[in-house]
Amino acid sequence: MRPALVIVALIVLAALLVPPLLPFDHVAIDWDSVRVGMFTDGHLLGTDDLGRDRLARLLVGTRVTLSVALAAALVALVIGVAWGAIAGWVGGRTDELMMRIVDGLYALPFMFVVILLMVVFGRSILLVFLGIGFVEWLTMARVVRGQVIALKQRPFILAAEAAGSPARATLLRHILPNVAGVAVAYLMLTVPHVVMIESFLSFLGLGVQEPLTSLGILVNEGAEEMDMNPSALLLPGGVLVLVIACLTIAGERFRDRLADAAR
Amino acid sequence: MGRLIARRLLTAVPTLLAIIILSFILMRLAPGGPFDGERPLAPEVRAALEAAYGLDKSLPEQVWMYLTRLAQGDFGPSMVYRDFTVSGLVAEALPVSLLIGGCALVLASLLGISAGLWAALRAGKWQDEVLMLAATLLTALPTFVTGPLLALIFGLWLGLFPVSGQNDGWDWLVLPVVALALPVTGAVAKLARAGLAGELGSDHIRAARARGIAPLTILRRHALRPALVPVASYLGPAAAALLTGAVVIETVFGLPGLGRYFVQGALNRDYPLVLGVVTLYAALIILFNLFADLIYGWLDPRMREG
Repeated sequence: MRPALVIVALIVLAALLVPPLLPFDHVAIDWDSVRVGMFTDGHLLGTDDLGRDRLARLLVGTRVTLSVALAAALVALVIGVAWGAIAGWVGGRTDELMMRIVDGLYALPFMFVVILLMVVFGRSILLVFLGIGFVEWLTMARVVRGQVIALKQRPFILAAEAAGSPARATLLRHILPNVAGVAVAYLMLTVPHVVMIESFLSFLGLGVQEPLTSLGILVNEGAEEMDMNPSALLLPGGVLVLVIACLTIAGERFRDRLADAAR
Repeated sequence: MGRLIARRLLTAVPTLLAIIILSFILMRLAPGGPFDGERPLAPEVRAALEAAYGLDKSLPEQVWMYLTRLAQGDFGPSMVYRDFTVSGLVAEALPVSLLIGGCALVLASLLGISAGLWAALRAGKWQDEVLMLAATLLTALPTFVTGPLLALIFGLWLGLFPVSGQNDGWDWLVLPVVALALPVTGAVAKLARAGLAGELGSDHIRAARARGIAPLTILRRHALRPALVPVASYLGPAAAALLTGAVVIETVFGLPGLGRYFVQGALNRDYPLVLGVVTLYAALIILFNLFADLIYGWLDPRMREG
């Protein structure tokens, strides 16, 4: 878990702190050195065919991809935790109905609905993460519901109820804090998933739009010129795979550790 | 089993209806239409075209018209590819997508299950650790990165396989199928390993060992089938992943499959084409989930319903 998290932290820090220090930003065109190789004219990774600094674009693209992913994962977290907690807490028919809806939604080809959404609503970045968030909350809802149902029978919850704690207070003060660990573990697993979806949309030209850039756009641009300049594909692709892999490893370890602790 | 199938098919109808109506409304909310070209059409021509395709009617009327025609198996005409019906376009594209997706699913299952089982038999040893790390890395490989990368290495540099389009042989299939299968292979391997490792630690396996049954017989007769239950339950989502992955793979490798028509149709506002493809995808995914449940019941009798 540790090395994976360290790698992610380094990538995040680089994406946040390095761009302001660079002599070029990600949209500035350097007319004197268009499409130059690495380490020329102060461009560490060279420039693309519009004369934009590749390093700046890579870092900004990473930042955009990660922020969209985090925002979308938070949307999924809020919907999923609320839905799962209510279903698990209320129980009975409500629970049955709410979980049937989740089951039904699981069966939909949601990726295609997201693509339609992007085509329809002008591809704003806000919509990218809202749309993805609305798709990704299902697993979270299932996990949280299971956790809440398990918690409901624990003595300390019964004690709180016996002491006359109102339902809302019990839910907020006693249940939710105990759900937090599992929710965080699944949040960590949702982020790489969302990174994948966002890059997929941007790769198809449906996600983030210029002048912003994202790892998906950079991979797409890199694929166009990979026969002449393989690094244009390998660098953004490599960062993307690294982020997804490290977050997945860290999330799974965290989840397994929680499961072991519960046993 | 008959009841399970019947019930699933019954719930499939409202699901399909919901997704058709949702996609229909979404498409119509989009600015622009199928007849917006470089030059604006004369108002009479435009009105005549819209009347011919029924676009002048109210939205509920259009939905109803579409559904009644769909019930008769007619997906309607394409609005952008003139003189083509959606059924005709789909009939050409579907075999390509199914071929790629089917090969990828078979490859991923075979490789993933073997790797997962092997890792489970060596649980805790270094081979297990390495294989599972590799599996996680595989699941992190998006098709739009591996697709171009494989094309670069095996197509352009080594010249082993064609990188674009279809030919009469089979070698055009290799790169798209491998790119599509890699992440699914990783996921299957992880599930197979978790399934068998869990099963090997269970009481009935310990009881079988205590009775002195040969390890290989235990594996074959007692542990394997229940161990594959998690893999079976992943088949539905895997089919969905292969279909979405195919959208990218078909674009990257220039293959005339469904995914390309979907993206092109959405960008061109070719309403009937998009609706037809979405309906088909939804039906395929529902079908795969049903298959997965049937395999489930076969693997583990406790899961059998009704």
